[in-house]
Amino acid sequence: MAYKPYNSFAIAQTQFDGAAKLLGLDEATCDLLRHPMREHAFAIPIRLDDGKTKVFRGFRVQHNDARGPCKGGIRFHPQETLDTVRALAMWMTWKCAVVDLPLGGAKGGVICDPHNLSDREQEAICRGWVRQMARNVGPVTDVPAPDVMTSAQHMLWMLDEFEGITGTKVPGFITGKPVSVGGSLGRTEATGYGVIFTVREALKELGIRASDTTASFQGFGNVAQYAIRLYEQLGGTTICVSCWDQEDKASYTYVKKDGVKLDELLSVTDRFGGIDKSKARDLGYEVLPGDEWVKQEVDILIPAALENQIAEENVNDISPKVKIIAEGANGPTTTEADAVLRERKVRVIPDFLANAGGVTCSYFEQVQSNMNYYWGKDEVLGKLDVKMTAAYVAVSATAQKRKLYMRDAAYIIAVDRVARACRDRGWV
Amino acid sequence: MTRAGFDRRDVPLFDRNFFRSNECVTRIGEGELGGKARGLVLTRDLLESRFDASGFPDVEVHVPKMVVVGTDVFDAFLERNQLKQTALSDLADDRMVEAFLRAEFPTEVLGDLRALVEEAHTPLAIRSSSLLEDAMFRPFAGVYETKMVPNNQPDADTRFVKLLEAIKFVYASTFFCSAKAYILATERTSADEKMAVIIQEVVGERHGERFYPDLAGVGRSYNFFPSKGVAPRDGVVNLALGLGKTIVDGGTSWIYSPARPKAPAPFGSTREILRSTQLDFWAVNMGKPPSYDPATETEYLLKADLSAADYDGTLSAVASTYDARRDRLVPGTGVDGPRVVDFAPLLSHSDVPLNSLIRELLTIGEQALEEAVEIEFAARLPRKGSPGMRFGFLQLRPMLVSGEEVEVGDDELARPDLLLASDRAMGNGAPEAIVDVVYVKPGPFESRLTPKIAAEVEKMNRPLVAENRPYLLLGFGRWGSSDPWLGIPVNWGQIAGARVIVESTLPGMNVEPSQGAHFFHNLISFEVCYLCVSHEEGAGSTRRGIDWEWLESQPGIDETDNVRHVRLEQPLRIKVDGRSGRGAVWHP
Repeated sequence: MAYKPYNSFAIAQTQFDGAAKLLGLDEATCDLLRHPMREHAFAIPIRLDDGKTKVFRGFRVQHNDARGPCKGGIRFHPQETLDTVRALAMWMTWKCAVVDLPLGGAKGGVICDPHNLSDREQEAICRGWVRQMARNVGPVTDVPAPDVMTSAQHMLWMLDEFEGITGTKVPGFITGKPVSVGGSLGRTEATGYGVIFTVREALKELGIRASDTTASFQGFGNVAQYAIRLYEQLGGTTICVSCWDQEDKASYTYVKKDGVKLDELLSVTDRFGGIDKSKARDLGYEVLPGDEWVKQEVDILIPAALENQIAEENVNDISPKVKIIAEGANGPTTTEADAVLRERKVRVIPDFLANAGGVTCSYFEQVQSNMNYYWGKDEVLGKLDVKMTAAYVAVSATAQKRKLYMRDAAYIIAVDRVARACRDRGWV
Repeated sequence: MTRAGFDRRDVPLFDRNFFRSNECVTRIGEGELGGKARGLVLTRDLLESRFDASGFPDVEVHVPKMVVVGTDVFDAFLERNQLKQTALSDLADDRMVEAFLRAEFPTEVLGDLRALVEEAHTPLAIRSSSLLEDAMFRPFAGVYETKMVPNNQPDADTRFVKLLEAIKFVYASTFFCSAKAYILATERTSADEKMAVIIQEVVGERHGERFYPDLAGVGRSYNFFPSKGVAPRDGVVNLALGLGKTIVDGGTSWIYSPARPKAPAPFGSTREILRSTQLDFWAVNMGKPPSYDPATETEYLLKADLSAADYDGTLSAVASTYDARRDRLVPGTGVDGPRVVDFAPLLSHSDVPLNSLIRELLTIGEQALEEAVEIEFAARLPRKGSPGMRFGFLQLRPMLVSGEEVEVGDDELARPDLLLASDRAMGNGAPEAIVDVVYVKPGPFESRLTPKIAAEVEKMNRPLVAENRPYLLLGFGRWGSSDPWLGIPVNWGQIAGARVIVESTLPGMNVEPSQGAHFFHNLISFEVCYLCVSHEEGAGSTRRGIDWEWLESQPGIDETDNVRHVRLEQPLRIKVDGRSGRGAVWHP
């Protein structure tokens, strides 16, 4: 499916404008929040394995830190732009605020394609990024995390460089570390579980038992897998997942009407995490084109892969049976499709609420790392559930009270919290 | 209203505002609630439908707020942590607890439990609620563990962790050695068992570092040991100061007939009452954190003596004071002197309708279950600024009372083939097919050897249970005594195959018999006969001692230093008359 190119920062600003209007924010506050507070753009010269030197472009955008240290991932992407990073930084501010974390929002990135870089070259980029930013990041100012095409290994290289520069041990400088080196138990599960915590609360409000529902998932990565697992544990039946096939460079939808078995599907994945089509067929799965996941007769749709997957072109394919859409991915619904869903009164749990489990657990990791004292998994996941549920309940209550769409309600809660913090500090 | 007519969906699912709501029972999970929880739900319904509160002004009768974690959570816990094999293994109890504590709790209920501790700020009792207990209509009292947590740490994280530890401890207790032996004796296995857990507010009040109720009690609508002048159907009540653990563990409590609450206690003298009174009580430890010991039921409990209750001001309503000059008891604690916890201020000299309330609740319970019942309760008594009594209803369960009419005549007791006889027997019936006898050898017996004897008895019990051979058990002092100097310190699992238990005295072990107090529920559930025999021959028709000579001449099939197991060719003749309390055993 082809999608219109768009400027994500412009979209982020439009979304903010909508919330600001509902809140009646003054001009100065709007000016402050429509733009990042700080932007860092810098060069990272790296000696490649072939002996040549290449200069990569790196960014860190700190959108707002009125509520606490900035928090946000670092992306390695060949199509990275400053505008994308700006938009993502702003969304991080709202995401942290909507789940009431004492954090601001930031995002970073490097224009590069890790597929074409050796581990040593990637390590050099990580260390170069930290050398450029060391004065402006840290456990009490701005805490990076993994994001698109960065992993726990990248975080460890960055931590090591930062500790080398500062001459200290500061595990709270960065999150997404391996559990053995200061990471948090439960981090792997957190985003997927968080999505389902919000779905569970939505079902309660609708008076439907999870065991009486079916769901279709787009994606079969970390978020979708753990979301499916918890949804099944609650009694729900997943009948469909879609998954990217690296060999075919296309995605496919796998359907089993009497219920997808997660462990069974995991047993037929390839080294990229994609599902093997023929083995899936042998297991009794129907294999359909990739965009079929959205057309399934289910109660719940969970897009947990990429942005712009529910668009003007396919929004009307969504079954009238669908009652809940929980956005596990960032920005899976375009503005046009969102308007249709709003009209149809589908309960859409917006991305920055539904998938906030990840950043919430990152915050827990930050807290644990700063204390250098680590919690049990039960403790982490218990806190995560309480935090996510409280956030959902607050958004839902606001939506009902002010007769708002869930996304708007989430925005006004988040923007209001940040705006108040700015006012309380005397910035505006 | 019957137990069978109950549906778990009558209990609402947990809402995170539960502690601010008017609901008193809620559930987490979709699984079964287990026997104890069902009993409490029934109690809630009975209080709503049959209890006339207007007859008891200034009394608040309630089921303390409780959350039931369903058996599906227990299943998920075992399955996801692959604990089933460990659970059914022979692992020692402390290792079992360790394995369970290491395991992760099912994610889908963590948030609710966490929210629960954020809302609840009183001590919590984490109680077992077994599915088999429910399925078999058999009260499994004392088989599984209960753990109390003070829940007063300022940090919700700590309270949450302690709550999870307590639940995992109760789960682990499903597979303790004694529980496995118990289940085996029911001809089921621990693999059939599933456990729900009740998280319930503890009734009581904080006094410094202690949290406890003014009184806890057990009421039974049928009295297996009626004293003169009262009928079995008059029932019996045990009361104790502090947590009910004192009574459940078979400790010293005040026992009276609810038909005659003011009648003098059946003691020979006032001094005898002084010797037999409750001297200490259990409370939840709200003070300095105890040393970390999640594998122990009493981790957060403390035992205090009566002077602590005197200091707390809780003794005056439940105790009398001994007046040495007049050799009598004066109700209350207005004067100095030894205290006796006889509840006289409450039962004889007070407007607080405690006894009539207990009788009313027993009657309602009997009518609802259509059989004899037992209730457990705890109460906070009226005091200045808080005039009403708060009565927490903690348990309602059926009692198995045999209807078989058995008579033990004087002529039968005079027969020469009498092995032993008792006029303090409990139970009712004529057990047949008992050919095995396990007895503690009188010759080498010494009080200091009782822990060793307990282990030797357990060794003999195991194959007998496995082969489903009921046996007669005979020993000295109190079976199940927690004090090894007063008897043989076994738990029920170690003697679970016994169908007739004899408790005898010896010159070196001449203590007041327990009359089965430590195993009261097990005796009732398994219809075990319990006979107390004195070594001294006396004037009573049954004071004949034990025919040791005959016993020792029988062929032994196993023998240790202190215990012998004999197998007879023909079954013993056994008769126990529950109405008269008379029982005897004859040679085959």
